[in-house]
Amino acid sequence: MGHTISRRGLLQGAAGVAAASTLAGCAMGGDDAEDDAKGETSASNPLGVKEDAPLEVVIFNGGFGEEYAKAHEAMYRQRHPQAEIKHSATQQIAETLQPRFVAGDPPDVVNNSGGSQIDFNGLVSQGALADLGELLDAPSLDDPDTKVRDTLLPGIVDVGSYDGKFLSLNYAYSAYGIWYSQKLFEAKGWAYPRTWDDMIALCKQIKAAGIAPWTYPGKHARYMSWPILAAAGKMGGLDVIKAIDNLEPNAWKHDAVKAAAEAYYQLAVDGYLQPGAEGMDHVQSQTEWCRGKAAFVSCGSWLENEQKAVTPPDFRMAVAPTPSLTTSDKMPYEAFRGTGSEPFVVPSKGKNVRGGLEYLRVMLSRQGAADFTRKVSSLTCVRGSSEGIDLGPGLTSVTGLIDASKGTAFTWLYSSYYRKLERERVDAASAELYAKRITAAQWCDKIQKSADEFAQDPAIKKYKRA
Amino acid sequence: MAVLTRPRSSVPVPSPPRPRSTVPVLSHVFLAGWALLTTLPLLWAVLSSFKSDNEILTDPWSLPSRLRWENWERAWNEAHIGRYFLNSAIVVTGALTLTMLLGAMAAYILARYRFRGARVIYYAFVGGMMFPVFLALVPLFFVVRNLGLLGTLPGLTLVYAAYSLPFTVFFLTAFFRTLPTSVAEAAMVDGCGHFRLFFSVMLPMARPGLVSVGIFTFLFQWNQYVLPIVLMQGEGADKRWVLAQGLTALAVNEGYRGDFSGLFAGMTIAMLPVIAAYLLFHRQFQSGLAAGQLR
Amino acid sequence: MRGTRLFIAVFLIPPLLLYGIFVVSPYAQAFQIAGTDWSGLSPTYDFVGLDNFRRLAEDGYFWNALRHNAWLLLLLPVVTILLGLFLASMISVGGRADRAGVHGVRGSAFYRVVYFFPQVLSVAIVGVLWKEMYAPHTGMINGFLRAAGLDGLAVAWLGDPRFSFWCVMAVMIWMNVGFYVVLFSAAMQSIPRDLYEAALLDGASRLTTLVRLTVPLLWDTIQVAWVYLAIIAIDGFAIVQIITDGGPSSSSDVVGLRLYKAAFADGQFGYASAIGVAMFFLTLTVAAMFLRVTRRDRVEL
Repeated sequence: MGHTISRRGLLQGAAGVAAASTLAGCAMGGDDAEDDAKGETSASNPLGVKEDAPLEVVIFNGGFGEEYAKAHEAMYRQRHPQAEIKHSATQQIAETLQPRFVAGDPPDVVNNSGGSQIDFNGLVSQGALADLGELLDAPSLDDPDTKVRDTLLPGIVDVGSYDGKFLSLNYAYSAYGIWYSQKLFEAKGWAYPRTWDDMIALCKQIKAAGIAPWTYPGKHARYMSWPILAAAGKMGGLDVIKAIDNLEPNAWKHDAVKAAAEAYYQLAVDGYLQPGAEGMDHVQSQTEWCRGKAAFVSCGSWLENEQKAVTPPDFRMAVAPTPSLTTSDKMPYEAFRGTGSEPFVVPSKGKNVRGGLEYLRVMLSRQGAADFTRKVSSLTCVRGSSEGIDLGPGLTSVTGLIDASKGTAFTWLYSSYYRKLERERVDAASAELYAKRITAAQWCDKIQKSADEFAQDPAIKKYKRA
Repeated sequence: MAVLTRPRSSVPVPSPPRPRSTVPVLSHVFLAGWALLTTLPLLWAVLSSFKSDNEILTDPWSLPSRLRWENWERAWNEAHIGRYFLNSAIVVTGALTLTMLLGAMAAYILARYRFRGARVIYYAFVGGMMFPVFLALVPLFFVVRNLGLLGTLPGLTLVYAAYSLPFTVFFLTAFFRTLPTSVAEAAMVDGCGHFRLFFSVMLPMARPGLVSVGIFTFLFQWNQYVLPIVLMQGEGADKRWVLAQGLTALAVNEGYRGDFSGLFAGMTIAMLPVIAAYLLFHRQFQSGLAAGQLR
Repeated sequence: MRGTRLFIAVFLIPPLLLYGIFVVSPYAQAFQIAGTDWSGLSPTYDFVGLDNFRRLAEDGYFWNALRHNAWLLLLLPVVTILLGLFLASMISVGGRADRAGVHGVRGSAFYRVVYFFPQVLSVAIVGVLWKEMYAPHTGMINGFLRAAGLDGLAVAWLGDPRFSFWCVMAVMIWMNVGFYVVLFSAAMQSIPRDLYEAALLDGASRLTTLVRLTVPLLWDTIQVAWVYLAIIAIDGFAIVQIITDGGPSSSSDVVGLRLYKAAFADGQFGYASAIGVAMFFLTLTVAAMFLRVTRRDRVEL
């Protein structure tokens, strides 16, 4: 080469680049937030929205698409005709919005969801989210005598609360459980097992019939941590789950967690998992399931919508709770994990916080919620909003599940407090467990070690579940 | 410096002593093997783009039962692959032109003129090759945003060009140094100014180097992934997305909605024009690479 | 001389401005951010000195990712260059040898064209395509293995930590080899043909010719190739993120992905920048080592 780079020269060059003055502004400076737009409060405008303040809404363009949001925006515009609404949708929420949070210029409503949602831990500890408490106490759009709080399904306020402040509205309601095809089960004369022993016995039959009893998304194996935790919670009671949420020492080594992990590990040991599933993502494994290659799959109630394109017409998917592990379980068989999903937040530095709250109030109206259910086939966190809507077989079974549980639905919060703990650590450990590379006891140890790490990391803000 | 200037031998040599008929056969086996490895995945994508979801899921090696252009239609209309392709083409064309012009200017000065600070500037440019782009991502976002260029094609064009400069300057500086000084001196004696000298004498002389660095730069810019994802954001930016984003969005969408055939159709639509363009210009591509052998 | 100075200014200032604004200034800021605990969500931050680097040193996930980059750095250039040289020499001199000398193979133009395809596709397409290729039931690879009766080999490629990283590396090799075949065979064109003929006349085998003659003559080109491939190996982000996202169990993680996740998933921009700075010094070390190793006499003809 005509001119060889000398080492010294390279270092000089690097130093020169590093030392060069900053141009065009500094990343961390950011502008100060402008004053929040506020208007007069009145009976028709209880949140005091400034009528002509523009509203910016950013939607996660995932399984639910963005069309439902446009309907909500139209409703908002009807109420506040002078407001200009900016709508955008993205799959990369974090990449898109993170810099705007820094710049103190976030949108007014954010649907913080999907694979690259912004970590709530950071958002909350930085005070980046507005308290939605005011919204809860505002009258609902449908009935001035009912507070918004009282129109929500139980658990919605808990799952969106951080240290007692309600910061995130989980708009969709998801029931998590084990899914099967009613058509397949009727044709074969199988009944969904209520106890784990029955499950193992049925798996043997299913395998003998030439079908893989279970499939699972090995690339997102956390899906298979859900039945373990649900079963553990049902066996040992909600305190087991709370200990996990509060990062207590040895929470993951509780007998109930161990027993549940052992139970599901048995599926791998006995060869009841579909071969190759460890290399599939959720769509691939769910598609195998839809094609009748496997009998069970663990998922949440968005499954029906997600699989719409590839589900055979008479498949009749249905969800059931995790089978009871013992006869002395603390919760009944009907108990399941039910919780809000699709978090919506109002950034505290937004220019139109009032408008953001009002937008959520519009979403939580009966009309807004029913419209969402109709458009995306998912339940919402609004009580009874699916009444009178023709639901698909999957969602119908979800409403059956909710009714049968008689208020015993529960959930864990560690996955929203400490997103990375579930998305990275539990996910990895579960992948190992179901591939039989570690045992159930090692699974507990591994996750406990990670949980301890999180508990001790000063960079992570801790939350306490009461 | 090794300068390979000897002309190719045209003198016939006596025939080699041993016949080596096995060699060509073996060569062909290996060469054809790799050619298969290269083309099969691409063919597979093209074939799959015509299948129904069910066919894709049932047997990866089956042929489509009929040509389902509706998959292409979906990828074109709903996933907007055509628009993203055009955006990519616009950005890369603009950035490539800018890179070549600015890069050649800087390299020419650094190679041919002596002045104080020349070395520092040269190393500042070349040092840029050492930095992982990631390091700059977040501050870069703000720089672009403060200039009001966020989510715009000109913004992305400028950034592509800026990040291509280190290599271009490095390469072309070396190239300009290899050009004989006598021509330039003769031109100067004839009263040719600096500007004319550059544009009408030096640039044409540097053509092989320019073509060659242009190819590298094109590939660098065409293959960008993380820069557009971070920089093409904001209100309405999805209309100005480039291919990398459009395709990953389609792949993510597949993750949420299970449109396998649409994904393959999108890939095929994105693949075919580049392959076609490459087939048209492959001679220039290859001779460009040959000429650009830095010596 | 005034004219010369003006000329220099006119020619240097635009590129320097572009470079300064979009490249130098962000990098300079990144070094500054590496010393803070900035979360990326608010304009407030504290300077924490070298804390981020201390944390980095203890971060097992970072070291794990770094190990993968080291493997890439070691193997990607070597394998790609060897394959490239091998195929290029077959194209250039693998044909019959006769009275008129040594020939390239028939159809050499075809091979050169086809091999280059993956390069022009853009990395996003390559990533998405191979993710589907490796799919356990619906992918082409397992489909082929099953059709060939090798069901036992049809494993879940990306789901097994023993294979996932190597699968990703294979894709990187796949997409890069063609470029170097073209590059090397172009370089071989400029080697005088009679040198080969003389070598073969002397009874040297083709392999010896490759090692003794071609490699030394192409040494400069090989160095350039090594530099490009090393840059790809230190990055590796796009392919890994698309195909495996680092999994399963971080078995295919790379440093670039660590940085990206620290920044955009965990909101730890200070820490992410520290990873970036570490990557920078890694690159610098590699370059220094490279310069030392390759200091070798050039072949003059």
